[in-house]
Amino acid sequence: MTATQSQGGTPLFRMEGICKRYGGVRALEDASLAVEGGRIHAILGENGAGKSTLIKIMAGAVVPDEGRMLLEDRQVAFRSPAQAARAGIACVFQELSLIPDLSVADNISISNPPRRFGLIDRTAQRRLAEEALARAGAEDIHPRTLVRDLPLSRRQMVEIAKALAWKPRILILDEATSALTAGDVAKVFAVLRRLRAEGLALLYISHRMHEITEIADECTVFRNGRNVASYAAGTRSGSEVVEMMIGREVSGVFPPKPQRHRESPPVLACDRFGWSDRLHDITLKVRPGEIVGLGGLDGQGQRELLLGLFGVLRGTTGNVSIDGVATSIASPGTARAGRIGMALIPEDRKTEGLMQPMTVRENLSFAALDQLSARGVIDRDKEERAIDELVRLLAIKAASLDIPVGSLSGGNQQKVVIAKWLMRRPRIILLNDPTRGIDVGTKQEMYQLLRRLADADAAILFYSTDYDELVGCCDRVLVLYDGRIVRELEGAGITERALVASALHVDAQAEAAA
Amino acid sequence: MTEATENKTSLRARLPAPFRRIDPAVLIAFGCILLLLFLGSLYSSNFLSLEYLLQQLKVASFLGVIAAGMMLVILLGQIDLSVPWVMTMGAMMACAVAGFGTGGMILAIPFGIFCGMVFGLLNGFGVAYMRIPSMIVTLATNVVAQGLMVLYTGGFSPQDSAPEAMRWLATGFIIPGVPNAILVWAAISAAMVFLLTRTTFGRSVYGIGNSERAAYLSGIDTRRIVMIAFAVSGALSAFGGVLLAGYASKAAQAMGDAYLLPSIAAVVLGGTSILGGRGSYLGTVAGVILITLLQSILSVMQMPEAGRQIVYGIVIIVMLLLYGRGPASP
Repeated sequence: MTATQSQGGTPLFRMEGICKRYGGVRALEDASLAVEGGRIHAILGENGAGKSTLIKIMAGAVVPDEGRMLLEDRQVAFRSPAQAARAGIACVFQELSLIPDLSVADNISISNPPRRFGLIDRTAQRRLAEEALARAGAEDIHPRTLVRDLPLSRRQMVEIAKALAWKPRILILDEATSALTAGDVAKVFAVLRRLRAEGLALLYISHRMHEITEIADECTVFRNGRNVASYAAGTRSGSEVVEMMIGREVSGVFPPKPQRHRESPPVLACDRFGWSDRLHDITLKVRPGEIVGLGGLDGQGQRELLLGLFGVLRGTTGNVSIDGVATSIASPGTARAGRIGMALIPEDRKTEGLMQPMTVRENLSFAALDQLSARGVIDRDKEERAIDELVRLLAIKAASLDIPVGSLSGGNQQKVVIAKWLMRRPRIILLNDPTRGIDVGTKQEMYQLLRRLADADAAILFYSTDYDELVGCCDRVLVLYDGRIVRELEGAGITERALVASALHVDAQAEAAA
Repeated sequence: MTEATENKTSLRARLPAPFRRIDPAVLIAFGCILLLLFLGSLYSSNFLSLEYLLQQLKVASFLGVIAAGMMLVILLGQIDLSVPWVMTMGAMMACAVAGFGTGGMILAIPFGIFCGMVFGLLNGFGVAYMRIPSMIVTLATNVVAQGLMVLYTGGFSPQDSAPEAMRWLATGFIIPGVPNAILVWAAISAAMVFLLTRTTFGRSVYGIGNSERAAYLSGIDTRRIVMIAFAVSGALSAFGGVLLAGYASKAAQAMGDAYLLPSIAAVVLGGTSILGGRGSYLGTVAGVILITLLQSILSVMQMPEAGRQIVYGIVIIVMLLLYGRGPASP
């Protein structure tokens, strides 16, 4: 820690040697952090670098496996967010946590309303809300307004007021500005500066680099579950910061990319594809044998794009064509059928990919039942053969195929999700972050498999939150930002630096350097 | 959780082959049936006579037909509360049509079932397309069916005695000694087992019950499956009503009221998860027999009606509690 300590004493809050694992995946490994009162401390890092786990531990939502936390040199351990809040650590979360049908005052004191004779004291509650709103610089919001009637930016202010109602000494803001426009961000910043002047410690997490440059006093960069660098804000350039966030070599786990002939006509193409206000003007082509990556920060419309192509979303605009023929795909049932032959490996294998309590066998054949049956009656021999073939092909490890699929390891579950779609021999494969939360070994098998499928002329559209994967696997990468394709990278141009830079929308020099 | 599952599997693997695939809940239900028969035989040896057992199976078959449809809907994670009046409607409409000469006689049973199916389709449409919770939709259609039947019987006195065909179906004998109602139930049961284990429809029902989202994303036409399941449930409710009317020789208002709770209880006692996705048809058969025996034994013991209902309700709650502690879905 090289952090200069402004107010001479010990830091207000410290955490040391924090480790947290989820199954085989390490979210945090020996991470430490120190925050001081009267400072705004920014946390930076790629997706999955451990930022959210860190603040969840601070806020009491997650209990660490190892390590200790010190609040003013006294060791503390939080078992619930309420406990952390009472100790003086409050959190403004990324997703709004307000209940739309309750009033602002109800929301602000929802977890700890002032009581009189066991009933909620409405007058006191209202006073409390007014105070908190005033501190958050939102005096104009009436405590009795329903949250539903407030615009998004005002709701975010209520969210901040709700955290302030705990009278915290440390306030964590996790992507608190991601839903706000520039004007609203300026207002939030004014409030943050005033809170800093009042002596609060502020922890600020954002992907928007210019915001961090503008507001932070100190920055800590996280990578792979560790804090790798801390520096005073403004002492490093944008490209240096990007370098710190990536900081590792692309390892040799990826199969070699073959030279491609690009003459073959695209299997899947879409033209000015859009949906609601989440996707705009998406134009792309995927050729047989090609792996096209979707990059960018989390939640920039990649999921919606895949779901939209697969016919899940209502009211998409623009054209989709399959083999050059304009095609309307109204449901997954249409998408998977004959001429189109599309498959989607969904994001959440627990609720979207698998029926957890059903057996491995039943899950494997579920998406291909129509092909394994005649007049609605399942041909058991055919089913058996198809299942055996795929279990061998993907090396699925299960004690028996008759146990619930939910009892397999994460990696094997993901293999089942992919196998159930490969059973249909799809021509177009959409993958929504298929390697999230699975072990490295299975990941490598997955990369080999994708390349084999591509070599067998499948067209693959592959969204990943792991930039390493996009660099290692893809022939082309489309980077999305705010529902639009902002950049297309190709061949040697796909570097982690270029991906991070375009995902963050960083200045042109970082791009030029790439 | 993984360990527990593996333990369970290894334990199951040690059982002899035919029992390995049977849900423990089904075994419990059959065990309870034997226990009830044993307790009954202490009271009177008549409980073990072939005559008594066949009589019980005949009475159980009405409930069995209805519970078969209910099971499909529960496997989807839904519920069908329109049973009582759809049943009554099926019976009344069949009797009414039978009043129109020979043609009416032939069409009586199919028409009764058809009416039930129409109501089932309405339920299915409400659930699958309008996205109304099934508890609300089916409660509403139940009231509509009730209103229609009251309207129908209000102004004049319609034909309400069951035609010969219906009586024969419920109480006649193709095989001497075995009432036809039991054969009907057996045939429907065979069809259900085939439907649930061997067809894409059955597999889809289980899939939707476990995760509708995953089933939809696998390309299943979930709305069609839901519609069909509700239609089958409505048709079987009406068919149950037709059989009951044949047994009682006439259709009457509110004749289905006593069948709603037992049909749900039979399915759940048989080990089908009320949340959908899990359960075997064999269990439902066991549940139906169990409930019928329970009712019969309580009435033979000449317990006053009030006490009978209390015991009946408590037994159902206790059994559900037992299952709840059992192998819960992960």
